[in-house]
Amino acid sequence: MTVLEGIPAKLGINEPWTVKGGVHWLDPGHLSIRELAAAMNALHARFVTITAYQLPKDEGLRLEYHWDLDGQLMGFPFKLAGNSIESIYDLCEAVDWIEREIHEGFAVDFTGREYEPLLLRQGDTPGVNLREEVKK
Amino acid sequence: MSYKIPMGPYHPALEEPYKLDLICEGETVCDAKLHIGFNFRGIEHLAETRNYIQVIALMERVCGICSNIHTLTLCQAMEGLTNLTPPPRAQYIRVIMAELERLHSHVLWAGIAAKLMGFKTMFMTCFELREKVMDVLQAISGNRVNYSMNRVGGVNRDIDDPAAVLKMVEAIEAEMARTVIPIFTTSTTARSRCAGIGILTNEKALSCGVVGPVARASGLPQDIRRAAPYAAYAEMEFDVPVQPAGDVTARLLVRALEIMETCKILRQAIAKLPPGELFTGDGKFDFTKMVTTTSTSRVEAPRGEVMYSVSWKEGSRNPARVHVRTPTFANMPAIRWMVLGARLADTPLIQASIDPCYSCTDR
Repeated sequence: MTVLEGIPAKLGINEPWTVKGGVHWLDPGHLSIRELAAAMNALHARFVTITAYQLPKDEGLRLEYHWDLDGQLMGFPFKLAGNSIESIYDLCEAVDWIEREIHEGFAVDFTGREYEPLLLRQGDTPGVNLREEVKK
Repeated sequence: MSYKIPMGPYHPALEEPYKLDLICEGETVCDAKLHIGFNFRGIEHLAETRNYIQVIALMERVCGICSNIHTLTLCQAMEGLTNLTPPPRAQYIRVIMAELERLHSHVLWAGIAAKLMGFKTMFMTCFELREKVMDVLQAISGNRVNYSMNRVGGVNRDIDDPAAVLKMVEAIEAEMARTVIPIFTTSTTARSRCAGIGILTNEKALSCGVVGPVARASGLPQDIRRAAPYAAYAEMEFDVPVQPAGDVTARLLVRALEIMETCKILRQAIAKLPPGELFTGDGKFDFTKMVTTTSTSRVEAPRGEVMYSVSWKEGSRNPARVHVRTPTFANMPAIRWMVLGARLADTPLIQASIDPCYSCTDR
């Protein structure tokens, strides 16, 4: 069994990886993002990025966290309850700018961290990438 | 007593606008804050208003140096959505274009680094070399910046004169071995300006998630061409240069050695270039019949890993989301750690040593 194949069991997840669109996907289930980030650190996985999606209608937002392990891209989707999720900046400093960018673009509040001024533009109103915001 | 020195957003040491607020004590940098976003263009959002042909032309404009890499990554992601596999000749042409782009990008960086060292003669030598690569790119594509080579399912143009590419490769290899590498590695000027400065330790490189030559110069042997081969890279033999020191010299050496490896790859790709079609299908896809799905692609750009996530919504002509993670976006925050304890006068060269691309960062 490869390190990658052993990850679901290590995380206490019964489902195996689903390989789709170039990514090994795993539903984190009961795991919080902070527990997942700590597990990724223990594996010496390299953080790649977070992709934010605004879901149709009023379904909210989904964040996809990506780590790389020896060239294998892993993806963990988190559907947000409301507009906030715990920050992992203190566990993984590589997330700093992408958390700030998503905060700015999608108005997601990454709790437990301090924000410096907005990263990509002047002003103080986050949420510029949200479609309904743009329509206004 | 500490004081703040703002460097940028418009500064002679910076090629494009970003800002470094350097907190200094005497001539020593104690801390630094980076600010980007001075030319943020909102391309990801703009992509949601373009159809599958227009979005390729748009994403080619993310970067002026590695424009081809962006369309390659995007097309690979879109091929994942459409289940298309480009024909072998197209895969080889993609490798050739990507390596030509790496060649001109690395030589350009060497020139800029030489300029920042006060090495004007070397700057001119590097830019003369780069012109040779640009001429070849222009001969292949008709363009010097946006080559318009990639399409969903293959490439738009053939390489009609592979011998010209080989001739250029020989010239670059000879000049790199004769002049550029020896001078950068042995001259007192280069060594005194680069050795032991701007150190990014292996641990810090891993925790910052840096990519490309910056990571490899800090002892991290990561290269997507090797770890997760795409196009025809699985059929190429090449080494991934890694240096452990993490200083500016290491970043310089990694790129110099990569130029030689790129020449090696180009020779192989041209020698093995298979005959056949340039693209699969007729270039027309009914994306409106696609089910809602997402595809991801990663490519090793000259500055490191580029990642595209492309999401398509059922019944739509346009992508629902195109997310681009550029290498400089991952590498730039590490400058803060590189300049800690450095002399103020070294900071222009240290920040340039990551080969920053603000155009990619402010996508």
